[in-house]
Amino acid sequence: MQSDVLERTPIATTMTSGTVIARLSGKKAVRSGVGWGLVFGVYVATQALTYASSYKSEAARRLLVKEFGSNPGISALVGPAFRIDTVSGFTVWKCLTVLAITGSVWGILTSTRLLRGEEEAGRWEVLLAGRTTRRGSVVQALFALAGGLGALFVTTGVLIVALGRSSKVDVAAGGALFFTMAIVAGPAMFLAIGALTSQLASTRRQAAGAASAVLGASYAIRMAADSVAGLGWLRWATPFGWVEELKPLTSPNTWPVVPIVAWIAVCGLTTVLLAGRRDLGASTLRDHASRAPRVGLLNGPVVLAFRLLRPTLLAWTVSIIAYGLLLGSIAKSGGQAITSSPALRLVFERLGVSGAQAYLGIALLLMAVTMGFIAAGQVSAARTEESSGRLEHLLVRPLSRRSWFVGRTVLATGVLVVGGVLAGLSTWVGAASDHAGVSFTSMLEAGVNVVPPALVILGVGLLFLGVAPRLSVPVTYAVLVWSLLIEITSGIAGVNHWVLDTSVFHQMAAAPSVHVDWAENLIMVLLGALVALAGVDAFTRRDLKGE
Amino acid sequence: MSTPAIRTFALSKHFGDTQALRDLEFDVGVGEVVGCLGPNGAGKTTLIRLLLGLLIPSGGRGEIFGLDCHRQTVEAHARLAYVAGEANLWPTLTGAETLHLLAQVQGHVDDAYRDVLVDRFDLDTSKKVRALSKGNRQKIILVAALMTRPDLLILDEPTSGLDPLMEQAFRACIGEARERGQSVLLSSHILSEVEVLCDRIGILREGVLVEIGTLAQMRHLSALLVEATFDGAVPDLTQIAGVTMVKVTGSSVTCQVQGSVEPLLRVMVDAGVLGLLSREPSLEELFLAHYGDDATGEERPPRAE
Repeated sequence: MQSDVLERTPIATTMTSGTVIARLSGKKAVRSGVGWGLVFGVYVATQALTYASSYKSEAARRLLVKEFGSNPGISALVGPAFRIDTVSGFTVWKCLTVLAITGSVWGILTSTRLLRGEEEAGRWEVLLAGRTTRRGSVVQALFALAGGLGALFVTTGVLIVALGRSSKVDVAAGGALFFTMAIVAGPAMFLAIGALTSQLASTRRQAAGAASAVLGASYAIRMAADSVAGLGWLRWATPFGWVEELKPLTSPNTWPVVPIVAWIAVCGLTTVLLAGRRDLGASTLRDHASRAPRVGLLNGPVVLAFRLLRPTLLAWTVSIIAYGLLLGSIAKSGGQAITSSPALRLVFERLGVSGAQAYLGIALLLMAVTMGFIAAGQVSAARTEESSGRLEHLLVRPLSRRSWFVGRTVLATGVLVVGGVLAGLSTWVGAASDHAGVSFTSMLEAGVNVVPPALVILGVGLLFLGVAPRLSVPVTYAVLVWSLLIEITSGIAGVNHWVLDTSVFHQMAAAPSVHVDWAENLIMVLLGALVALAGVDAFTRRDLKGE
Repeated sequence: MSTPAIRTFALSKHFGDTQALRDLEFDVGVGEVVGCLGPNGAGKTTLIRLLLGLLIPSGGRGEIFGLDCHRQTVEAHARLAYVAGEANLWPTLTGAETLHLLAQVQGHVDDAYRDVLVDRFDLDTSKKVRALSKGNRQKIILVAALMTRPDLLILDEPTSGLDPLMEQAFRACIGEARERGQSVLLSSHILSEVEVLCDRIGILREGVLVEIGTLAQMRHLSALLVEATFDGAVPDLTQIAGVTMVKVTGSSVTCQVQGSVEPLLRVMVDAGVLGLLSREPSLEELFLAHYGDDATGEERPPRAE
């Protein structure tokens, strides 16, 4: 009977086992590269075409330069505004850093998934029993990643070249491709970093965490380089600085290609080297296999979740505090730049808002986005407990599904509230150290103010966790990224208010430059709570579902 | 009679178009050890996951000590313990930490017995789960289940990955559980395990309980196995009443007989039988008698669809 079953199932006969990892992983990577290439291309096109139609006159463009051209605060967030009186310059300014960072996050998630994630799930164990070595399989996975990167480049490139042919934009194909290369350079470098950390760490979560730390540090260094006078040379110390220095379309410079290629080559070679030296499923960094039991925080499911999430939460805490201190300390100069526009100064004076407050009102959107990522991470962690089968070990004991779900919700909410308070406090400390004249209570309120949008994201994630668990993680991140893109786009273009309302950040008051709208916040919290309640109800009525 | 440990009423489950379990009527008495056999996809795991409330029934319902599997999970789970075939545990916790956690969630644990079990299964509890083999992870969830001394043990292929020595230890533990009056539902592929441990055996096929009974009852249902050698040609046995599964190899034949063996013996004696061997079929042969059809595609058509 057994042999009969085997005969009927054509296992792996269509693939040669020597390249099976490259093919399977390559398919996933290419699919995802094409998808994100479309998003990138459309995003670039939106920015360019909106600019071309909104800023037709020379006067309008000069005004834009005056407002944003030399604003260190804005430079800190999205990079320096170079030649933004031209379609190309503006498009590069609006797209390059944003897409480099988005793409780098994609790079980290993709490479850690295909390298460490597949290995962790034990899928390589099956494949390695065939005709491939561990080093060979890593090389294959790297080829798969290169395929994904190629797909991202081609898809984005085709759209940008096509855009360049439009009379409104008018960019030659060569320039368009150099711009595409600059956009893809970030993702390429972080694909490589993700591959390297996948060899160092033993779980995908750790690998992605380590790579994210590199990303955070790179972004922070670039922030300092772009906003603090005299630190411009620091751009050469960070991948995002190299990307900026390429200056595509405005004054192309090929020198930064050297460190970019060197970075990718060093990471790639080290990855291959390390892969041959370790055991399958093991890490390169020392990982103590045995220890005396530590039974703290093991008394129940919620404390267990907290214990398991501690490293992630610590990383977020450090990031929030670092961002807060940085934002606070550049608030005064950022504010001066904003209020150098007479029209805006008049508005802010009428509102009784200082420049620093005005700047922080804009900049704290970053904190709100960070909170959104923390919320989405909590949904993802809860879903992983279920999909991995670990949750079953708890639920077959006298623990109701409802109390597990509610426990996770309370934990996630607590984490977000603490995060918001920390965001406010650290920003206040940064601002106070620079005598920016921002009050403690207004910053505390502004910190708490970034929490409600994240609670809406958490609520949506929990709703889907209850209703359609396999969609919960993609949907949660989609809501977050969609909202983020709308916020970035809406500043320049007249976006329809119905579309604006679909962004979870849109209802958030820009505290501390305006007063916190507690009523609006209450509505957001209630909305989040309501959908989360629907989620818990659905969760108690459905089958547990694996991957 | 007291409330049975497990009872199902027309319990059904479908996943989309696939009917995984169909109108199952099944029970496990208090203190009884019942085995559940069937090929992959027969519905064994689905049945167990329904009983544990991890799946929601499409129809019918199940009870654990009279408590509804879906609506009274917490009360029901206080009286049972479950061992899954796959031990997906938290990779960063050590064995001792995992046992501590699961004990805390369970609420009551026999600490002394836990230590005995850790010893008996030769488990190194200081190692992180990540560093353990499949068999060692399996030991952790076995100890975690047994240490609570539950009224009911639900075991889904519990010995997967265990070496023969540990399998012996497992059998000893189930034997003790039986002596203490604990009830057991054991789903397994290992027929000898079921044969040794179980009072009654149910056979599931395509979501339907096709057979249930004690080993003796099932032997009665099944045929006697006969092997014979002749000095000449093997006579045609296929036309004799009660004789099935005739297989001729040269001058030897094997077949199964249901009911009286007399007609068969007459034909054999007339044909000049040299040697004759008959015995009761093992559980494995009983099992194959039920699923042998799958391979040959003869006799009764599948009952599903």
